Amino acid sequence: MNELIGIAAAAVISWINFVIIDTWMGLPESPGVKGADAIGRSVKKRGGDLAGGFFQGNIVCSPDASAGTLLGAVGCYAIGIPEGGFIAALLVYIGNRLCADPGYAGTTGALSITIIIALTSFIGLNPAYYVVGMVIAILTIQGISHTQASILLGKIAKKMGRYTKIC
Amino acid sequence: MIIHANETYIILNYGLAIIFAIVVGLIVKLPLLPERPMRDSWTLSAVFPTAIIALGLSAIIFKMVIFDLYLGMVVAIIIGIFSALFTKFLFDHIFPKPGGGIK
Repeated sequence: MNELIGIAAAAVISWINFVIIDTWMGLPESPGVKGADAIGRSVKKRGGDLAGGFFQGNIVCSPDASAGTLLGAVGCYAIGIPEGGFIAALLVYIGNRLCADPGYAGTTGALSITIIIALTSFIGLNPAYYVVGMVIAILTIQGISHTQASILLGKIAKKMGRYTKIC
Repeated sequence: MIIHANETYIILNYGLAIIFAIVVGLIVKLPLLPERPMRDSWTLSAVFPTAIIALGLSAIIFKMVIFDLYLGMVVAIIIGIFSALFTKFLFDHIFPKPGGGIK
């Protein structure tokens, strides 16, 4: 597969994987730690969405599905499919516990991307594409426009019934 | 990815480790699943994180250690049992809940 097309496809798949899992696991509902609360409120003050801001704050403050997806891909690239993904899931879970997080989102993200990488390897998408793709996917959430990204994340949270009740 | 005969055994071993982790977890009285809503629960259960620990440890051992005891099945069973006992008796002491919440 062409490298650029592969990276673009991997970025889209990784984005959907981590946003769906993180939203489903309730990241936009409430900040897990004080830092996530501060980020959420700062994003809202700048014209963004509070639930989306909490989402962004939570993925900064502990390894959620975004980190799980990235580390799962790195594990598969460095160690192999599926061992690398399984080892990444265990390490992400330990990281979650150290960051005061129950660890469901991160672990699910690492395991789901391992399954996705194993399945898409049949059509030529290799783990390296997912490593680059996931970096691009996180960039769209954290690196381009916090406010616009938070509004989109807020809309997804509303659709999935995970919008914050905090104001 | 092409699945060879050896890989079939590895997949079987992962399955064995997970099954033994869950069964032994239930024997030592871990709940099968955390209480609902699960995403907010800190309860250690037979499925989460015991099965995840068994899966991760199996991957580390199978990747790093050479073994041939019944094609790794004995190692997989030992890992499963160890994971359940570790989760039940040691996990909360090594990785306590926030606020020093050791049960």
